[in-house]
Amino acid sequence: MGKGGMSRGDAGDEEEENMAAWLLGINDLKIQPFKLPPLGPYDVKITMKAVGICGSDVHYVKHLSCAGFVVKEPMVIGHECAGIIDEVGSEVKNLVPGDRVALEPQITCWQCDRCKEGRYNLCPDVKFFATPPVHGSLANQVVHPANLCFKLPDNMTLEEGALCEPLSVGVYACRRAKVGLYTNVLIMGAGPIGLVTMLAARAFGAPRIVIVDVDDQRLSVAKNLGADEIVKVSTSVQDVPEEVEKITKAMGARVDVTFDCAGFSKTMSTALAATGTGGVVCLVGMGHNEMTIPLTPAAAREVDVIGVFRYQNTWPLCLELISSGKIDVKPLITHRFGFSQKEVEEAFETSARGGTAIKVMFNL
Amino acid sequence: MGKGGMSRVEAGNEENMAAWLLGINTLKIQPFKLPSLGPYDVRVSMKAVGICGSDVHYLKHMSCAGFVVKEPMVIGHECAGIIDEVGSEVKNLVPGDRVALEPQITCWQCDRCKEGRYNLCPDVKFFATPPVHGSLANQVVHPANLCFKLPDNMTLEEGALCEPLSVGVYACRKANVGLDTNVLIVGAGPIGLVTMLAARAFGAPRIVMVDVDDYRLSVAKGLGADDVVKASTNMQDIPEEVEKITKAMGAGVDVTFDCAGFNKTMSTALGATRTGGKVCLVGMGHNEMSIPLTPAAAREVDVIGIFRYQNTWPLCLELISSGRIDVKRLITHRFGFSQKEVEEAFETSARGGTAIKVMFNL
Repeated sequence: MGKGGMSRGDAGDEEEENMAAWLLGINDLKIQPFKLPPLGPYDVKITMKAVGICGSDVHYVKHLSCAGFVVKEPMVIGHECAGIIDEVGSEVKNLVPGDRVALEPQITCWQCDRCKEGRYNLCPDVKFFATPPVHGSLANQVVHPANLCFKLPDNMTLEEGALCEPLSVGVYACRRAKVGLYTNVLIMGAGPIGLVTMLAARAFGAPRIVIVDVDDQRLSVAKNLGADEIVKVSTSVQDVPEEVEKITKAMGARVDVTFDCAGFSKTMSTALAATGTGGVVCLVGMGHNEMTIPLTPAAAREVDVIGVFRYQNTWPLCLELISSGKIDVKPLITHRFGFSQKEVEEAFETSARGGTAIKVMFNL
Repeated sequence: MGKGGMSRVEAGNEENMAAWLLGINTLKIQPFKLPSLGPYDVRVSMKAVGICGSDVHYLKHMSCAGFVVKEPMVIGHECAGIIDEVGSEVKNLVPGDRVALEPQITCWQCDRCKEGRYNLCPDVKFFATPPVHGSLANQVVHPANLCFKLPDNMTLEEGALCEPLSVGVYACRKANVGLDTNVLIVGAGPIGLVTMLAARAFGAPRIVMVDVDDYRLSVAKGLGADDVVKASTNMQDIPEEVEKITKAMGAGVDVTFDCAGFNKTMSTALGATRTGGKVCLVGMGHNEMSIPLTPAAAREVDVIGIFRYQNTWPLCLELISSGRIDVKRLITHRFGFSQKEVEEAFETSARGGTAIKVMFNL
């Protein structure tokens, strides 16, 4: 459902150049040719149809860096994506041209200790779409390992396929924190990550979910998407005791698991204090590197702090949750753009501006 | 093996005496009236009582970890003794049995107790955590199910050492220490040492100890550390120390125990632990910490908290009596139960230096 811009190149007939959105400098995105690597025996070539914008993509556009990674050469942006298989490598058995797939954007070594124990998200040699120096997927076509492409059930749209990536963050966090039928959940931060975490927590069976934010608009979105209660908070550390009281009242029960989807001293301090004795705080957001937090009193109540980095083994579950209707991710898409120079620039500005924008989606 | 002082109280005859904390640096042996014996209680004649850092802290500050001594309180909680009398419903113990005591009485009704995490019971009564009286006394009354019969080959002093050892055992359990886990321990004080002994018993293949003090490091080496690394109190030295630690371990650090609990030690722990590993905060140095938490969380280094212990005495008895752990070497000084010796014992413990575990024999 493209809105103009580059058309798809037909394999074999007229070899149109593959085009992609390149990050050339701060605030400098250009659609330019993107030469694909040759198709390996275990690879597939995919025509991109839906690509979402992530906060990290925006951060790279604005700063040419994110979380310690630095863009040193032009790089294709984008990593939340789904498309249609064009061509499959000689050893690929599970996919055929025409299959609609969602892509898991991380290619890992499958040889190190982390990969071998299934925690491949922690592979030191990971190649992740649009984490420099690896090119992303906001392009007409990409080449990708077949085992990282997941066939969409018929009742799922390609946009829903692209949303599997942010949803995976929420799903993996809920898994690591062991969210389930017993766990009352508190979420700090109602941005896109807080929202997918909330959707995942609900799907995992959390009986009660309270979400906090500094922004009324975000809180009302969260309420509409199913939060049991919302609490407005400030950026002031002095307000922590009062806010913990409000949160406890809103939950009406012990807070078993808290997700900090913002990652600042304030949110982490609130999370630690608000979580019940013996509970878990899961740090998802990456606000500040160094934090000043009351860790000892929390540790002395056996409130554990769990980290999450991206996700592993989440796509099959995401597909199941979305196609069965247990999770509805479509309301997260607030803006849509086509794949043209003008629209690419506008899309990123929209996402960067925040406000009413949650997930900005490209249709190619 | 008392060295003078009070003799054991015959039931009903002599007054029960205890070491009372009356004010800062003020300990006095005074009468201690025991509660009546309930049907599920036992009365125990104390024989061995160790001094803990928290006991010393209460003596010096009248407070510890947020708890404040507001009225006179009997000190001491690491203890073992001989059963004098058992309540009417007590089936598993008889007078004459030698027992080690678990010092925490919990409600057994709340959610934490019901799920077995009774160490987190909000209504816990813990020996020598105000306002609950401790056990440095001739006799105490205690629930029978918190008294554990010592195997014949264990001494009463080893029985008393089950309490600090429990901290190490529980920490190793919570952090899943085992045959695959290389262990780093920051802080070679008594808690670091019992954690090391426990880690070894749990099968840790390699254990590196870190401290600022050469003497403590040599004790750690003598007790079985594979390697020791000297650290500073300077935050700037962290990258260099992480390098030394990594070299000393010769492999990834899977689990780190911070048995000190300061910005420096926690930051070092987070930096030194491998991706996907665990840091266990055991020590209670500072309440608020400034630490690089996000980079650690982004490597999925989890931070696990430890508060006291639960369900550790049976294992401690097994580990000690089987010889898998030798705790006797932790005892560096012994004192009897007299006014003068009580004062001297606490001064010795407070002074640190060569003192690890100071033990009373009553």
